[in-house]
Amino acid sequence: MKQFIEIFRFELGYWFRGWMIFIFVGIMTLLFWGASYSDNVQLGGAVENTNRNAPLVIQNYFAISSVLTLLMTTAFASSAATRDFASKTNQLVYSTPLNKWSYLWGRYLGCSVAAMTPMLGISLGVLIASSMTDNDPAQWGPNRLSPHLMGFLLFAVPNTLLASAVIFAVASWTRSSTVAFVAAICLLVGYGFSQSLLDDLDNEKIAMMADPLGTTAFSVQTRYWTITERNSMTLGPTGILLYNRLLWVAMGGLAFAAGGLGFRFKERAKAGKKPVDDGASTASMPAKTERPKVKIDESGAGRFATIRAQFGIDFGETIRSRVFLILMAVAILNVLAALFTGAGEGFGNSSLPVTYNVIEIVRGTTLLFAISIVTFYSGVLVWKEREAKLDEVYDAMPYPTWTTYVAKFGVMLAIVLLVQLVNAMSGILYQTTQDYSRYQIGQYAFELILMDVLLLMWLVFLSMLCHVLSPNKYVGYFAFIVVLIGNEYLWFALDVPSIMVNYATTPSYVYSDFIGFGPYLQSLGWFAAYWTLVGTLLGVLTVLFWQRGKENHYARRFSAAGRRLSAPLLGFAGLVALALTSCGGWIFYNTHVLNTVRSSNEQKDLTADYEKTYRQYVDLNQPRITNVRYEIDLYPESRSISFRGQQTIENKSLEAIDQVHFSFDTSFDHTIDVPGSTLTTDDNRLGYRIFDLDSPMLPGESREMSFEVAYSPKGFEQSTSMMQIMTNGSFFNNQLAPQIGYQPDAELSVRSDRRKREMGEPNRMAELHADCGLYCSNTYLSNNSDWVDVETIISTSEDQIAIAPGSLVNEWTEDGRRYFHYKVDHPSVNFYSFMSARYEVKRDEVLGIDLEVYYHPEHHWNVDKMVNSMRKSLDYYSKNFGPYRHNQARIIEFPRWASFAQAFPGTMPYSEGIGFIADLEGEDSIDMVFYVVAHEMAHQWWAHQVIGARVEGATLLSETLAQYSALMVMEREYGRDMMRKFLRYEMDRYLRSRGSDALREEPLATVDARQGYVHYRKGSVVLYYLKEMIGEDKVNAALRELVQKFAYKDPPYPTSLDLIAALRRQVPDDKQYLLTDLFEQITLFDNRAIAATYQETEDGKYEVTLEFETKKLVADSEGEESEVEMDDYVEVGAFAKPETGRRYGKTLYRESMRLTQGKHTHTFVTEELPDEVGVDPFALLIDRVGDDNSKRPRSK
Amino acid sequence: MELVVENLAKTYPNGVRALKGISLTIPTGMYGLLGPNGAGKSTFMRILATLQDADQGSAKLGEIDILKQPHELRRVLGYLPQEFGVYPKTSAERMLHHLAVLKGISNSGERKELVAGLLHRVNLYDHRKKNLTGYSGGMRQRFGIAQALLGDPKLLIVDEPTAGLDPGERNRFYNLLAELGEQTIVILSTHIVQDVKELCTRMAIINVGDLLFDGSPEEAESALAGKIWAKSITKSDLESYQDRHRVISTKLVGGRPLIHVYSDQDVGDGFESVAPDLEDVFFSKIHAVA
Repeated sequence: MKQFIEIFRFELGYWFRGWMIFIFVGIMTLLFWGASYSDNVQLGGAVENTNRNAPLVIQNYFAISSVLTLLMTTAFASSAATRDFASKTNQLVYSTPLNKWSYLWGRYLGCSVAAMTPMLGISLGVLIASSMTDNDPAQWGPNRLSPHLMGFLLFAVPNTLLASAVIFAVASWTRSSTVAFVAAICLLVGYGFSQSLLDDLDNEKIAMMADPLGTTAFSVQTRYWTITERNSMTLGPTGILLYNRLLWVAMGGLAFAAGGLGFRFKERAKAGKKPVDDGASTASMPAKTERPKVKIDESGAGRFATIRAQFGIDFGETIRSRVFLILMAVAILNVLAALFTGAGEGFGNSSLPVTYNVIEIVRGTTLLFAISIVTFYSGVLVWKEREAKLDEVYDAMPYPTWTTYVAKFGVMLAIVLLVQLVNAMSGILYQTTQDYSRYQIGQYAFELILMDVLLLMWLVFLSMLCHVLSPNKYVGYFAFIVVLIGNEYLWFALDVPSIMVNYATTPSYVYSDFIGFGPYLQSLGWFAAYWTLVGTLLGVLTVLFWQRGKENHYARRFSAAGRRLSAPLLGFAGLVALALTSCGGWIFYNTHVLNTVRSSNEQKDLTADYEKTYRQYVDLNQPRITNVRYEIDLYPESRSISFRGQQTIENKSLEAIDQVHFSFDTSFDHTIDVPGSTLTTDDNRLGYRIFDLDSPMLPGESREMSFEVAYSPKGFEQSTSMMQIMTNGSFFNNQLAPQIGYQPDAELSVRSDRRKREMGEPNRMAELHADCGLYCSNTYLSNNSDWVDVETIISTSEDQIAIAPGSLVNEWTEDGRRYFHYKVDHPSVNFYSFMSARYEVKRDEVLGIDLEVYYHPEHHWNVDKMVNSMRKSLDYYSKNFGPYRHNQARIIEFPRWASFAQAFPGTMPYSEGIGFIADLEGEDSIDMVFYVVAHEMAHQWWAHQVIGARVEGATLLSETLAQYSALMVMEREYGRDMMRKFLRYEMDRYLRSRGSDALREEPLATVDARQGYVHYRKGSVVLYYLKEMIGEDKVNAALRELVQKFAYKDPPYPTSLDLIAALRRQVPDDKQYLLTDLFEQITLFDNRAIAATYQETEDGKYEVTLEFETKKLVADSEGEESEVEMDDYVEVGAFAKPETGRRYGKTLYRESMRLTQGKHTHTFVTEELPDEVGVDPFALLIDRVGDDNSKRPRSK
Repeated sequence: MELVVENLAKTYPNGVRALKGISLTIPTGMYGLLGPNGAGKSTFMRILATLQDADQGSAKLGEIDILKQPHELRRVLGYLPQEFGVYPKTSAERMLHHLAVLKGISNSGERKELVAGLLHRVNLYDHRKKNLTGYSGGMRQRFGIAQALLGDPKLLIVDEPTAGLDPGERNRFYNLLAELGEQTIVILSTHIVQDVKELCTRMAIINVGDLLFDGSPEEAESALAGKIWAKSITKSDLESYQDRHRVISTKLVGGRPLIHVYSDQDVGDGFESVAPDLEDVFFSKIHAVA
């Protein structure tokens, strides 16, 4: 024990006497001070209504730092475990009568305690930030001890103990700190693997246990936390998190014990080989020989030979080393695991392994790994000769320093290339295993081999410089990581949007099969050249400061650098600098002069100014558009457009109008012509124009006006914008046109953004009233039109098809361009899309309506399914809701710069990135394509026939009803079980999003248009439940009534109250309470099964007894719950064991009972053996703990 | 060709004055640099091998200013550091080839011949395919010499080459060195007096940064002729002898201390005159008695 204490104290003292621990504490403090203080750095979920020092946020800081814990522990533990061998004190220490276990435990615990110390920096950082005086007080709550304590005890302590044990074990076996590094990387891979398991809800529990760092369990257990809970509660050691922590600390213990058993104090014999000695037999030296005359070759070829030799030996040694092979094996496993588990597309579904997705997954899992390899090997190579004690031999050789640099740089490049090649091969291998043979090798080459190798090369430049300037390898590693983090972080914090200062950063881009990389090549190319030149200069610096000889004092190295700066080197550096200046200048000219780069704060300032200056006009009486004729000329090759419109505007009000106002997007050139008017305000910064009418527009009067919107790209941008106008696959809508009046939709909605700009609470949608008067005269999509007639002539290049709303009237070719003339068949909402690309078209017909799918010729996989969904949807909706008013329904694919589908009248643009690539082969998989198409088709009724007024709850009438409609079509196609699976995801997404809502959670009746998680996710769950309770016919009857009353009708537009009223007329008296619970308040249940038993009866049936508890809660807008009296219908049910390969078993029993809150016992009889018995067994009610509703019954 | 060192001085950042202004002229042949541990030998050698900078003074090999033209010197330099490692899994032949390329011998035919010649020369040819990690200390040092000889150096610097070698290995190593001294300037640093005596035509003694002696070993010995007196004493008397005489060395012979004393006259007291050897020179210089 004494020995142990002494070793432990010595170890601890060793670290606290050094600098490393303090630097680590400093870094952590700085990092988390920045994270909690800066608005621009978002880490750990302090969004909006969650305080910056909310307990959950702090605990989450500890959780996400686990990866850093791993890195730091590696530094401490690998040194502690191998120090005696490395510094050759082993013979001293090990010859003492020391107990092996005292020695190991002392070392292990000592270095573990040291290694967990830097985590205190998290607390320190947050505390410092919380005491800053310029904080926004609304974002800071009281400082509490418990989250710090729990964060430290649940993450810092166990993770350090685990990592340190593993590293200790590996290092004591192998006596190599390098192999220990590899062990640490393996832990990291385990973490990454468990993350990728999470995609599928069914894997959740496995993922929670499998994560060695415990963060997965933590995030799953806290995901449904509401705002109030996030701000006040700390997660203690409970549930799976507790088991996870115990498991992994135990695993650490096992690893440590195994390592300890293998540990020997003895010096290990070198693989059983005795050193050779030629001994006395060669005692005499050979006769004197002539010393051969040699020529020292200093020509270019000689230099090349030197470089090649150095490269050969360094590269050969690296790739033959066991460590490298292990690393590569880990890399491949990691990538393949990620590919096989991670190719998800939501709802636990897979997409086809299209190359861009595969590359994305490969990058996601390996880029960090590749950066680690760069970090690791650049250190190894820079310090190689010195570590092998060959530096004096080498340094006295007559080769110039730059050859060494070039050789080692080449080795790094070769390693990186090798890693990336392996990654690309893994991707291709994966595609092959999936029977997918559209490999798109060019894409692999461009992204994984060219762009990523360039990025890694720039990092090599930086990393080697860091090592050359550092006094030892570890400082070098550390310096590089600090510089990397600083580079990622600093520019955000300083709100510098230009990536020209952000080392090794290139413009972001989105590949699409429509456009390839074409539109991005220019900016990517210039930035690649720019960073390569910057890197080359770093390379020159590295050569200058390369340590040659034993002189490591900085003043000396400076003067050595001066001496080394020979004329040719200076000339080279000068040339590079000149090229860099030109290249940088050109980039600056293109990105900052021809185009603009705005930080998100500058963008928000503009938005704020727009609101501050022009919100005064929000209720100004304005004319409304009744008819538009578009003439659009699109030039895909140059990404240019001329978008002209002639529109009729009408004063539909009872008062005269003497001004017309326009808001417009300043990225386009706008010409607006209002005949008989004077332009009095022309604000091109904020995009606002006011025309004073020479003679006021009288009530009922119509006038003609026109506009032209033009765009053509100038030079290249930092990140390519205006994705709507593309070389192939243009997709834009009529909101390109100047909009009449002030447009409130763009206003800042995040509270802290507004407070910082002294703007008060966000403007919400108008309050919901039974009699909404003026507010009901606008739809939530438009404040300047009702139902309009539209006609379009659109031209594009000869090889593309352009699509505008309505029926195709005429099509012709003129001057090598293709023209299309479309006309809408029925006046519709003024919300239209225009598209143009080289399309393949699939046509079909149902009920006299043309069905068309326009798609990329290679994306044929799911087109038939889309047509099927259109058919089934049209059929169901026209039967149940009312007639479809267009002569066609079109699905049109657009490039994947956005991943959504959207419904315009008769037209549904659908992203390349979803649906078209869904893999629907799985038995059990939810047909995403079918669902999305059904949803968009439903919008042809819900939004395009019946559209909500511009008041709260408007999206209940469009999005929620579209979800309901889609669910009904899906249920017919795929059956009940599929709905259970689908709704489980919907429930999960609803509950998960509540805590991070930037607004305040609203019930469905008053949902804000920005609260998608309410109107889609909760909407699905709630309406499906209502349908289960009162029946599909009744719900549809109410919806039919809504269509009859409001479809294509002039204002006032309907509100959510109209829907609820229509439903009320259908709901029987005893269930009227449902409408209040489901639509008017946030109702939750906390039901659970307590015990379930069964007994076989004499006639071969089963008598089942279920004991359960019910509880009903109402939550406020921050999630604060209070229990309420309950007198509700609740279901009890039983299922048989699922057949193999099936998720759900047959329903054996289902009974709805009216119950109060509290404990209940219910006994019933089933025909077959029950496998699962429970309350609310289909999980139809919103319940934050859904998995305790059912139990497997025990035999009595 | 001569190596001329003038007033060479070096102080480390921690304040240690490793060289305090040393001036020397070193001709072709074996030159021994003698001094106790910490005398500044290695610093001196490394400066000459371009691996460290001097604060002041100059060092010139013929026309080459070592301090200002390190690259030019490296072309004619062979250097065997006091301690050097080897790469794992690398044979002597492979490593020698590699170093030859670094030395600038890019013609592979020439290189092959050179490497083979050198391996023969240091008697490692039979073991050329073996990994260096498996070599004994003596073999490793011979390999070290082979690499230092790559490129036909005019200046060969060997720093403490015999440390850790057994007597047989040492002898063999000396044979090799002796042969080299015929055409080249060979500077050999050591703290073992015997080495210098056996090998060197000229020598220098340095201690704590100062040059104490520069000349031939014979000169040094003859300068002490008749001034060294020896006596075998009992251990308990040692202190009293040290008070009375200028004791320059004490060593045990058959378990009894044998002391050497420096004196111009017969010291009597049972002392006998002995012929001075290099060890006496060394100790008398170090103890600043002569």
